Amino acid sequence: MNVSGLRTLFVKEVRRFLRVPGQTVLSPLISTTLYFVVFGVSLGGRMEEATGQRYLPFIVPGLVFLGLANNAFLNTSSSLFIMKIQGTIVDLLVAPLGPAEILLGFVGGGMVRGLVVGLLTWGVALVFSGLQLAHPLVTLGFLVGTAYVFSVLGLVAAVWAEKFEQINFFPTFVMLPLTFLGGVFYSISRLPEPWRTISHFNPMVYMVEGLRYGMLGTAALPPGIGALMLTLLAIASTAVTYMLLASGYKLKQ
Amino acid sequence: MPRAPVSAPPVLEVEQLVKRYRDVTALAGVSLTIGTGEIFALLGPNGAGKTTLIGAVCGLVKKTSGTIRVFGVDLDLDPLRPRYDVGLVPQEVNFDPFFTVTESLRIQLGYYARPPDEARIREVLEALSLGEKANAQTRTLSGGMKRRLLIAKALVHRPKLVFLDEPTAGVDVELRRDLWTYVRRLRSEGTTVILTTHYLEEAEELADRVGVIDSGRLLLVEDKVALLRRMGEKRVRITFSAPVGPLPPELDGKAELAQDRRSLVVTERNGRPSAGEVLQQLYRGGFPVAEVDTRASRLEDVLIEILRGGGGAA
Repeated sequence: MNVSGLRTLFVKEVRRFLRVPGQTVLSPLISTTLYFVVFGVSLGGRMEEATGQRYLPFIVPGLVFLGLANNAFLNTSSSLFIMKIQGTIVDLLVAPLGPAEILLGFVGGGMVRGLVVGLLTWGVALVFSGLQLAHPLVTLGFLVGTAYVFSVLGLVAAVWAEKFEQINFFPTFVMLPLTFLGGVFYSISRLPEPWRTISHFNPMVYMVEGLRYGMLGTAALPPGIGALMLTLLAIASTAVTYMLLASGYKLKQ
Repeated sequence: MPRAPVSAPPVLEVEQLVKRYRDVTALAGVSLTIGTGEIFALLGPNGAGKTTLIGAVCGLVKKTSGTIRVFGVDLDLDPLRPRYDVGLVPQEVNFDPFFTVTESLRIQLGYYARPPDEARIREVLEALSLGEKANAQTRTLSGGMKRRLLIAKALVHRPKLVFLDEPTAGVDVELRRDLWTYVRRLRSEGTTVILTTHYLEEAEELADRVGVIDSGRLLLVEDKVALLRRMGEKRVRITFSAPVGPLPPELDGKAELAQDRRSLVVTERNGRPSAGEVLQQLYRGGFPVAEVDTRASRLEDVLIEILRGGGGAA
């Protein structure tokens, strides 16, 4: 293992997104804050009347998840994809960096950005709803697990994509709808059938509910399923990415 | 000029290297051995397979078959270990717009597991006339400066084997001169350099040996001195005003009469036979000499001859 190479790539990835904080940290933070204001503050009163629950704390875990997953994904996908387009991928392929070093270096950078945005989102939420942290370790596990899985998925997308349009495919057409329909703004237990059953096929639901359990102490689904799903996704996505990088798929001629 | 000791293990051994894309064979069984401290120039037209060969050694191209050993290590068995001591200047200019010149070189040192070495970074930057740009953002550099940075990145970790893929394509005379100076310095330090170039003058200036590749086949590998000897050839074409009869016996084997018997070609090697002697004999024999055209052959001519199938063996 080339530890120096891995550390260098990781630090480079972190410094890369910190060079453009307005784009990589501030922008997603503002978007999430707007969700708080629009959904939480403006519409929250009506939701509380309907559900009898405080609505603002309810949406915090989902919005933290949204910011974290999106930014973890975007960091790895945009970084590797831009390297492919600009040709700087040559620097990595020629260097003594194996698939493990490349995977961990990129994913580490993606996790840091995801966690920074997720935690800052949580910080903004504190202003609106106050701190709720029922199970710190469960929360930490879901935060780190989500950051890891979506960073790896971002890497897969970057390896696969050949055009800018393709790199936006996964976040726009997969992640965004699944997350919005994944119980961020509502509890799936209140959905009518068949939507409630259909929602059970959405993996995001389990992750959001797991984080919700960690933060609020209650959730519509058992957190164990979410933890199992994250673990399985982490193993599968890591194996796939490792094989893609080792084979040089769409990276080497 | 330091040359590789006979007993030194080859820095690079390529055996029967084949690379096929769907319909195209980029490398059709290339075999090549490069010794320590050698400067080897790989010449050939666009699309000949030069960059593919370099890419296969450096990990940018997946070979179809064949064996590549770098520093004696088979890349099929251990593709990473030799790379700590390899540097590549790619043909296409690239740069990471997020970092400065110095930061880019620090990153490069880290990738190659070298400790931070500011003195080495300064040394490489100065050698490539980039010292004043040390703290500049890479995106603000001119095209020539970006290419200098590319060269600095390939050399900063002190590789023992350096690939320069068209390093001076489209650059100014100053950079070319700087690079030539630096390559000579690398040779004096025992670094092995493999370069591809379109500038035959560059190969002539720097290389110990020259290889010619075309359509994925290595047509020739020859010592530069031997090649220069070939460049010393002079072709004298003598045109007659009317078809001529048999040549004087003194010119047997020295001159080649055209089929229409209206011209002959004399190839002068190392001054023999001299054009003057031939002309004297022709005048003496009453041949109607109308025109004399003398042309010294250049490396281009030798290469064109090789590429047309008239060259030596690899």
